[in-house]
Amino acid sequence: MGATIKIEHLNRIFPVGNQQIQVLTDINAVIPDSRFTILRGRSGSGKTTLMNQIGALDTPSSGSILLDGKDLVTLSDRQKEDLRRKQFGFVFQAVSLIPTMTAFQNVEFALRMAGVRGDYRHRVEETLRMVGLAGRMNHMPAEMSGGEQQRVAIARGIAHHPSILLADEPTAELDSGMAAEVTRILKEMTRKEHVTVLMTTHDVGLMDAGDVVIELQGGRIVDVKENESNKLDVLS
Amino acid sequence: MFGIGFQKIWNQKWLFFCMLLGSILLVATACSFPMYRNAVFNRMLQDEMEAAWEESGKWPMILEYTISVGDKEGVGAVASGEKLAKNAYTELGLTESETLYYYAISSSDAVPELERKRIDDISLRVSFIGSLEDHVELIDGEMYSEAGVDADGYLEAIIDEQCMLTNNIIIGDTFIFGELHDENGDPVRVKIVGIYKKSDITETFWQKGMSMYTNNLMIRESTFRQKFATTSLPGFTMVCRIYDLVDFTALDASEVKDLVSNTEEYQKRSSIRALMKEPEYTATLQSYLSRESRINTTLFILQVPILLLLCAFLLMISNQVYELEKNDISVLKSRGASRTQIFLLYLMQSSVMSLGGFIIGIPLGNIFCRILGSASNFLEFKVRRALKVQMNGEVIGFAIGAAIIAIAIMSIPALKHSKVTIVNLKSQKVQKRHSWWEICFLDLIFLGISIYGYYNYSHNTDALIESALKNEALDPLLYISSTLFILGAGMLLLRLQPLMVRIIYLLRKRWCGPASYASFLEAMRNGRKQQYIMLFMILTVSLGMFDAVSARTILQNTRANTAYLDATDLRVAELWENNSNAVAIDPSVEFTYYEPDFSRYADFDEVETFTKVYYDDTGYIQVDRRERIYVTVMGIHTKEFGQITELDDDLLDEPYHQYLNELAATPNGILMSSAFKDRFKYKVGDTVNYGSKPSVIIGFFDYWPTYVPEGRAVDENNETYTYQNYMVVMNYAFCYEMFGLKPYQVWMKLKDGADTGFFYRWVANEGIRLNSYVDRTEDLEDVTEDPLLQGMNGVLTMSFIVMLILCAVGYLIYWILSIRSREMMLGVLRAFGMHKGELLHMLINEQIFSGLYSILSGVIVGNLAYRLYVPMLQMAYSTTNQVLPMELITSTGDMVRLYSVVTLTMVVCLGVLAMLIFRLNITKALKLGEE
Repeated sequence: MGATIKIEHLNRIFPVGNQQIQVLTDINAVIPDSRFTILRGRSGSGKTTLMNQIGALDTPSSGSILLDGKDLVTLSDRQKEDLRRKQFGFVFQAVSLIPTMTAFQNVEFALRMAGVRGDYRHRVEETLRMVGLAGRMNHMPAEMSGGEQQRVAIARGIAHHPSILLADEPTAELDSGMAAEVTRILKEMTRKEHVTVLMTTHDVGLMDAGDVVIELQGGRIVDVKENESNKLDVLS
Repeated sequence: MFGIGFQKIWNQKWLFFCMLLGSILLVATACSFPMYRNAVFNRMLQDEMEAAWEESGKWPMILEYTISVGDKEGVGAVASGEKLAKNAYTELGLTESETLYYYAISSSDAVPELERKRIDDISLRVSFIGSLEDHVELIDGEMYSEAGVDADGYLEAIIDEQCMLTNNIIIGDTFIFGELHDENGDPVRVKIVGIYKKSDITETFWQKGMSMYTNNLMIRESTFRQKFATTSLPGFTMVCRIYDLVDFTALDASEVKDLVSNTEEYQKRSSIRALMKEPEYTATLQSYLSRESRINTTLFILQVPILLLLCAFLLMISNQVYELEKNDISVLKSRGASRTQIFLLYLMQSSVMSLGGFIIGIPLGNIFCRILGSASNFLEFKVRRALKVQMNGEVIGFAIGAAIIAIAIMSIPALKHSKVTIVNLKSQKVQKRHSWWEICFLDLIFLGISIYGYYNYSHNTDALIESALKNEALDPLLYISSTLFILGAGMLLLRLQPLMVRIIYLLRKRWCGPASYASFLEAMRNGRKQQYIMLFMILTVSLGMFDAVSARTILQNTRANTAYLDATDLRVAELWENNSNAVAIDPSVEFTYYEPDFSRYADFDEVETFTKVYYDDTGYIQVDRRERIYVTVMGIHTKEFGQITELDDDLLDEPYHQYLNELAATPNGILMSSAFKDRFKYKVGDTVNYGSKPSVIIGFFDYWPTYVPEGRAVDENNETYTYQNYMVVMNYAFCYEMFGLKPYQVWMKLKDGADTGFFYRWVANEGIRLNSYVDRTEDLEDVTEDPLLQGMNGVLTMSFIVMLILCAVGYLIYWILSIRSREMMLGVLRAFGMHKGELLHMLINEQIFSGLYSILSGVIVGNLAYRLYVPMLQMAYSTTNQVLPMELITSTGDMVRLYSVVTLTMVVCLGVLAMLIFRLNITKALKLGEE
């Protein structure tokens, strides 16, 4: 099952030299359970910083992030790490597969990380099939294209049944066709795996895919849109 | 381009520091070799010369000319002979120390008439020695005058003490040489005006051994020349001897070879052949040359491993640099840089490093050379005689050669890497290849050669000992074998490493946590990247062990051998007076020795215990009518002998003191060397009748202080052969009963820390005459100072230190940089929720697979290598006949040093890793991937 994320009065200030730079200002938002939410904005708008707060990779200066009612900000480092291992899946902008592992092993690694016991093979094969890479399980990352690598990353991100999959600009280094394909797969996951997906992108062409599109500008949320057609799609 | 070059260097400053270090050490090591060699050869040459001087009592480098001038030759021969002798220095390139002239009128032609009284059987000659007046002291009378002739026309002469005594001449005596006429045709008349003695016998002037000057009436040189050497006078022969005393201290080792051949050429000349005596120094120089070539090869062979290791280090670091700069190179290429330009960029960069190496390396080489020269044991230094280290063309040549090699190692890979473009860089990442050496089985080839070498020598130990006895150069295969073995076995273990990791992985796969899982896969897939550093670690540990053991074993065994042969601190045989003169006159008188006062030895504070030891190695026993067996007989006071000497109980069937106790309990008992048992089938309890009294055999021994069971020698056909030595040990009292009072040796054990100087002072002050003496301290120091052993020790010590530096600095920097290149990956793992501890665990695992595996491999390889090869090296190096069984000497201290440096390196490495992980900023590390 997915999870709902509720962000309240979130601020993030970075000290740079003697100055304080406010990157996120009073963010309030809800990321709905088992839906595909897109966080859009130009580069420098604070997308990745917000994503890092949600992913418990960074700590906000003030405000709270509630995950099914539990505030992430108050968790200890160790609790955050456990959360990232079990509840979160990550897909990063740069290809983040471990270069010494095959596609299969990369996915298997996520299962080991989450402490899943038993036979991994079935689950690994299943997720790789879902991203359309059933035939390339034993290939090394260097033997695959950028799009394929990102698909493996998605498979890895969902293999351990996380409640939230965070994808930070997963399409930035891909051509438009490949980007659309990766987006489609991410969206599919909300239905197949019942996972809450949050993706950041600056690519306007991909906005239609999102169930919810949150627009960020200069560190503030300027617009939140719910996509009606997608809503129907989910309901049917 | 310079800008780019320096920017590049700054970006990778730590790696470039390693490169610089490698270049410096390479140049320093390479040029320390000729420096040390030249210095030690010069010292050795001077030692040989001085030894020859001491042995013969004559100046060691003399060119001796004899010119006989009679009616036929005319006095012109004198001048041409003198010119010849004077020119010899420049012709042979030698430095003159002093040229001595001794001219004499041959006494057969001039019989003196004694005016005071007549003695028929003396013959005196008129002669001169050039500048004699400056080197003598008058003990009576006066020196000949400036004119050399007195108012009455007598030639003024001085004679030496010996001449005065034997001929019973006094001052004022005059002689008339009836047959010898001066320029006016009058008979030559000589008057004795003074008696002289040599003012300082240590002067070069007297080093010709001037005893022959007795019976010479020495007149002033100018007078002699005027009277006899300038006018042609018939009726007598003049013998002119000219001695060119060459200043051997000015002789450089590098000139010796030419000098020997030049001297041979020179002698063959027709103008010289008849006049010059064959110089004795050529034999000294020949013996020096044969030692030189042996040491030369040996030192070079010893240096090869460390030079190779330094090259490997440079190669490893430069590979790492190219690995990190791969992207830069491909970017440069895609922006239109040609391969030549890229190569030039790296060539420039390597040249800067090499230049740095050259500038710092040469003075460092000088320091290395001094270290070599003061090595007294493995990792121990003591300066007894500092080496005179010189810079010359050869040293600079070696340094330039090393710098060029360093440039080549650092820049030639650029040719390979500059082929890479962005397109094939990516595809290259995919390829999983075996290293080139794995494909051509270099490891097995090396092992094959080394095992052949081992087999060859272990079945042919005689050849080794033979070559050592003949002072031949060491067969390079012998030392190369051990190096190849280390290299081959190290590489084989490296080849097996991925397999081992795989096996462990398969066994543990199911229970692996994510950290172990990641590290296993890293080790299996990326292991090859670590091969250089791993091989390097293996070589450091194994060569370090091998060097330590071989240096200690060879030196310690040689020292133990010397200590055994010398038996105790000081052994002295005084020259005993006897009544041989009386016996010669009256054969019925019994021959008797007069024993010097033995109690004097009790007066020395430095002596702890002393005893009489009858020692005779000239005796023999008649076995049957035809055969004589030479036997060394030793008569001892068992109690004192036991206090003074020691022998390892392992060398005997029963403890050493047990033998002595049994001997003490049986007055007529004898101990025999085992050679008797084998040859004559004697048993303990048998009675033998060799001397005047029957004796009972109470035991057999294989070893006894000073006893050499088996001798080896080289015969006239240059073949070695072995022979048995026989020895009998008995109580001194029994010995006395059998042979009577005979000169014995005094064996002394000195108190701890006592110097033998007291003994030499005593000998000099009391005028003690010694037949022989053995000074163990001095002999042991000679072992330490033996150029071959010291050079070996020094080279091995230096290699060990250089390896430790390379290992510590190189490994650390290499590891940290390779970890830093994975920083982004570590960030990803942290983002996935991997704990810091797990990350550390993962990196420690990786270190175990590479570092610990390498260390263990090094220990295994090093152990095998020294067990196999050190015994052979010991045989080849031993400068004396090794009597005691060889013992492998492993010093715990050395191993502790080695392991602690390696462990410390790894611990520091882990510390830095831990710091790196704890300071790792996840979000920053992730950003790295986006650039």
